[in-house]
Amino acid sequence: MEWVTLLLDAMWAAIPAVGFGMIFNVPRSALPLCAVGGAFTYGFREVLMHHHLTIELSTFIAATAIGIIGVFWSRAYVMPRPVYTVPSIIPIIPGTYAYEMMISLVSMNTDGVTDALLSSFIENGLHAVSILFAIAFGLVLPSMYYTKRQKPII
Amino acid sequence: MQKGFPTISKEEQTRITTVVVRVAAMLLEYGAESRLIEQLSSRLGVALGCTSIEISLIPSAIVLTTLIGDSSVTTTRRAHEQPINMSIVHQIVTICIAAEKNPRDIMMVETKLANIHSNPYPAWLIVPMIGLSCAAFSHLQGADWAGFCITFLAASVGMMVRRALSSRNYSLLIVFAFTAFVCTMIASLSFYQGLSATGSIVLSSSVLLLVPGFPYINSMLDAFKGYISMGWGRWTQATLLTLMSSLGIMLAMGLLDIKGW
Repeated sequence: MEWVTLLLDAMWAAIPAVGFGMIFNVPRSALPLCAVGGAFTYGFREVLMHHHLTIELSTFIAATAIGIIGVFWSRAYVMPRPVYTVPSIIPIIPGTYAYEMMISLVSMNTDGVTDALLSSFIENGLHAVSILFAIAFGLVLPSMYYTKRQKPII
Repeated sequence: MQKGFPTISKEEQTRITTVVVRVAAMLLEYGAESRLIEQLSSRLGVALGCTSIEISLIPSAIVLTTLIGDSSVTTTRRAHEQPINMSIVHQIVTICIAAEKNPRDIMMVETKLANIHSNPYPAWLIVPMIGLSCAAFSHLQGADWAGFCITFLAASVGMMVRRALSSRNYSLLIVFAFTAFVCTMIASLSFYQGLSATGSIVLSSSVLLLVPGFPYINSMLDAFKGYISMGWGRWTQATLLTLMSSLGIMLAMGLLDIKGW
């Protein structure tokens, strides 16, 4: 039963990956792989979080995994790596955390600073920033490994 | 005439330089990472017969020198702001690889460059698809089905607004602020008579179509690979876009005086 929920969620996560691929105008042949990448990244992160890893660590591992997979795809289909990796990480972007952070910031301005608002601001802000950095580091690591070789990937 | 090099006159070298700088400027405008710009232009230059290519990048311009033996030609191009288009970047990669297979064939490169097309997705496909994407976000965050429908509506209208404003050549910052404003206005329908129980999720996911994913990732990739100034430039651009979207959201919420504000 848990696997069914996981698969369904991963399928829902494939939709934003394809939609954002269209905003970035990726070639049509790359769209199916973007969908697979988005579903994989989201599903992998859910599995890791299910095993009681923190959300930041799971995000980092999932982003690194899609970064490594992107290297193989880019070599096989002669495509720059960001074509696959950037749409794939879109489903794990911490939109809600950033939004909650902004809300509490504005309420502090209008209603005065309270302990609850302040702690909500700091908690959500830390989550949003650390998840963003986890995504970025995860995507950068694989390409850092390949830049020490002289021969380019594609 | 230099020793060891096939004869390339100054005019031919200028022609090569024009082609290479055009490729580099297009890559910069359509959102390729700096390392790809440098690698592709030097590979293309070597394939066309240069000894080496030296390139200097800043976010708004490009300076490029071709070296053939002792003679060098330098040129500068301004990069204009364009929407990100990975399809064009992919076509340029293909052209460079084709040029490496048939070296010194500048005619072929010039014809192929002239035939690059931007391949945009049609509006009837992209607008519902973006609506569905943001609705899927709200579903993943746990919104109810009424919230799902409102998110779909808000994001689709937002995408239409974004396309309409972009086609009228407004600055990207204005486009983002206004789109965020429209999205939030429509999404706050969910608070109207308790239409959806998960209003804040609807509000936060309907503006997700404005996430500047490419500038952020590109800035990190650039900074980590040693292009510090490019990294800062792109980081600033992405942060400004985010700030302008939050400005639009705040304006809409202030106008409607939504609970929790």
